[in-house]
Amino acid sequence: MTNLKQDRDLRPVDADDAVLAAAGDAGAFERLYNRHVPRIHSLVRRMIGADLADEVTQDVFVRAWQKLGSYRGEAAFGTWLHRVAINVILGRRKQLGIRRERFVEGEGVVGRLSSNPKGAETAIDFETAIELLPDGAQQVFVLHDVEGYKHGEIAQMLGISSGTSKSQLHRARMILRDYLDR
Amino acid sequence: MSDRWTEKLSPYLDGELSAVEREQLESHLAKCEECAAALEQLRRVVGRARALEDRPPATGLWSGIAERIGAAPSDAKVADLEARRRSKVARLRQRRLSFSLPQLAAASIALIVISAGGAWLVSRPAGPAAERGASSVSGQAGLVSAPVAGHSATSYDAAIVELERIIDESRDQLDTTTVRVIEENLMIINQAIVQAQRALAEDPASEYLNEHLAATMRQKLEFLRRAAEMTRAVS
Repeated sequence: MTNLKQDRDLRPVDADDAVLAAAGDAGAFERLYNRHVPRIHSLVRRMIGADLADEVTQDVFVRAWQKLGSYRGEAAFGTWLHRVAINVILGRRKQLGIRRERFVEGEGVVGRLSSNPKGAETAIDFETAIELLPDGAQQVFVLHDVEGYKHGEIAQMLGISSGTSKSQLHRARMILRDYLDR
Repeated sequence: MSDRWTEKLSPYLDGELSAVEREQLESHLAKCEECAAALEQLRRVVGRARALEDRPPATGLWSGIAERIGAAPSDAKVADLEARRRSKVARLRQRRLSFSLPQLAAASIALIVISAGGAWLVSRPAGPAAERGASSVSGQAGLVSAPVAGHSATSYDAAIVELERIIDESRDQLDTTTVRVIEENLMIINQAIVQAQRALAEDPASEYLNEHLAATMRQKLEFLRRAAEMTRAVS
């Protein structure tokens, strides 16, 4: 996955800044922020929606700052930060009691998207399609197909069975397939 | 195409089927165009998901984070400060139904100017006799004062230009109502100056008109000075 490669590339410089940041160096933490905010913001946006993305992204970095003392450098900082982000996102979803009215199948979802998107619009509309997925399917799809987590890991994160994770993934793909087909 | 087969398409793509299941599905795919097409579509969905590019937030978020973690303000990026400034301006612009402090300050200056202009218009001389009377009335009202103290014509112009520059630079930090009040009052003062200059051209010896012009010019200087202070306070 691209993100894993990115983590490897950034690991040495991230490690130095993480040590400095853990010691209270806000400048080092700002450098970490600058390197990782596109990935974290995109993750948040895909999992919780564009309207809350900025606020929750800030929550993620504040939480990371607070927990930096527990970062041992065993995993890449990006991987550690990603897990922090997932926890913050899931916590916020639980807090909000998100029960969006998105439990619609195929046609209902794709009917809200533009037809025959081209160029840059294609990527944007695909992202919109992800945001419009039913909740369970959306979370599993983002974590599995976009972020590269395994079903066992997703099951643990979301408190569901691996079987449920697999069926939700298939559901998400089938909906998005309909969109790609237009 | 049936659910029995389509449900196996995702696990097949992810390599999660047993060898027996995979063989059965591949055998079916060879005969079923619909399932084969669906598999290709799912493959495209997975490919698209993996190719998604991360995008940074549209506005800087660091300043908010820096504030919450107690980092020094100097750590905030310039872009963040700009976003915060724009947000502040937007908030100021939303105050449609109440007067802000700058608006009240501008309005109070306006009252002084309008009073001065009104008094001058009322007392405007129709002839030498009237001029003498007007001079007396204006003097009682405290509107006639010494020429622009401490300013030659050149230094006066330079001071005006400098103050106008300060206000112009801070203009976008003021809400539109405040800017409008400032502009309207400057226009009133400028009109009063032009009127006084025209009157003086006809009667250069008039002590009253000379004093009135000096007073109006001083008012303009004072108005701009206070407006500049106000913009500094807001920014």
